[in-house]
Amino acid sequence: MKIEINNLRFTYPTGLEALRGISLTIEAGEQVAIVGQNGAGKTTLVRHFNGLLQPTVGSVLIGDWDTKKYSVAKLASRVGYVFQNPDEQLFSKDVGTEVRFGPRNLGYSKEKIDELVTRALALTELSNKTETNPYDLSPTWRKMVALASVIAMDTPIVIFDEPTTGQDAVNVARIAHVIAKLRREGKTVVTITHDIDFCAENFERVIALASGQVLLDGPAREILGQEEILAQTYVDPPQLTRLGKKLGFKETVRSQEEFLNSLKNSIDASQSK
Amino acid sequence: MHERLSFYVKRNSVIHDLNPLTKVILTLALILIAFTSPWYWTPHLLVLVAIIPLSFIGKVAPEFFRTAIRIILPAAGFLFLMQAFFQPVGDTVIFKFYFLDVTQESLMFAFRNATRVIVMVSAFTFMLLTTHPSELMSDLTRRGLPGQFAYVIISTLQILPQMQAKAQTIISAQRSRGLDTESSFLKRMGSLSPLIGPLVFGSLAEVEERAIAIEARGFTSKKVKTSLHEIPDHSSDKIIRWGLVILVILSIALNLWPS
Repeated sequence: MKIEINNLRFTYPTGLEALRGISLTIEAGEQVAIVGQNGAGKTTLVRHFNGLLQPTVGSVLIGDWDTKKYSVAKLASRVGYVFQNPDEQLFSKDVGTEVRFGPRNLGYSKEKIDELVTRALALTELSNKTETNPYDLSPTWRKMVALASVIAMDTPIVIFDEPTTGQDAVNVARIAHVIAKLRREGKTVVTITHDIDFCAENFERVIALASGQVLLDGPAREILGQEEILAQTYVDPPQLTRLGKKLGFKETVRSQEEFLNSLKNSIDASQSK
Repeated sequence: MHERLSFYVKRNSVIHDLNPLTKVILTLALILIAFTSPWYWTPHLLVLVAIIPLSFIGKVAPEFFRTAIRIILPAAGFLFLMQAFFQPVGDTVIFKFYFLDVTQESLMFAFRNATRVIVMVSAFTFMLLTTHPSELMSDLTRRGLPGQFAYVIISTLQILPQMQAKAQTIISAQRSRGLDTESSFLKRMGSLSPLIGPLVFGSLAEVEERAIAIEARGFTSKKVKTSLHEIPDHSSDKIIRWGLVILVILSIALNLWPS
């Protein structure tokens, strides 16, 4: 499902203008990472996608729905939103009930809920933990419960707010796996992240925000190469990308595989001289 | 995030520069005089010639009057009515309301008591408006108030806005999961548990973390602690304090004087 943002401006009641004229279109099935320094407006922006915040000026369209005309509970059927801190949403006595909460709110039939919950639990590798109390799990697994509880809602758009913060490498890989699966299912994924490696490896499109405006927007390969502009919003390109640049590779590399390929090509080129 | 932690309004004024203890004594003195002075009009005069002018000197008059109109006057008005109707004193009946007699004496009595309450509450409001709570507490701890006591006061002031912000995030998170918080009352009652659970668990965890954090900085250590923030205590403060104490003693003495 498509997200259309038209000249969005947002001012907090305190008078802080957090978004200063943002226009963007995110196509159905796109995987978008939003980067930028703290206070750039990333969270403020995505909170407009499910109506938690309403534009001061401009509009946000989710498919054909204007977020001004629908309640958050209603928009929840189109936009799933995984909050940063799982402890701020987990309340059930076991993982299974927790994950059922969202789809039940959306009013699906019992069979559909069962199916969605089973799938979400399998995807997040929680199938053997359905009976466990979420608070008996480690913080990394609690994060997965939060992911599962939103994925089970089967929304065409899923938002992740800093999914990898405070997670170990194993769990970051799990989260990447979940996002890859959502991509294959044709879902739109929007992720706020400070983890630039995670961003480089998992997202095709990167949007960099700086003081409430879009600084850069385009394919990850192009954006991550623009070291000087990214520095304006305190984002460093991934180490491999920077190393590739230092080594004089023509193309911007994003992953180990690409780096090794470019390295091999440049060695081959210098040997054939 | 930008919540105010207390009533305190930051301004530059003579009152703000007073030592916190001076302001506490001023407040207590106003209250004690209002309650002990034998002269009928003392509380009324205190409001007119002390508290209201002080709020202007302290540059907090707008905030002071806002609180007064919203909270203090309604409460005092209610007290006045209750006492005027139910105080069985005097026999100069002014009017009857079913079985209730309103006498001149009960009216006088109610008027004075209501004003005393106004003095009490408005003096405290004035102190809270011009004194930063942590400044007050660090000054009092330096003078020997137990740290635990100061901690209870300060943490209460800080925890409330934090809990409020936390509750807001939890509500947002659950609404994003399709929780309906805007429809009928029954539905909303049903949606309480997804909100209260995380709030209570989260707050308990925070209390523990806070306890560990302050203990890591030697909270219960018996050694005398230094303070980064020096709170000035001028000789003028001492003069004001002793002057107030003498006024209170005078007022009590006059009250006890066999007349």
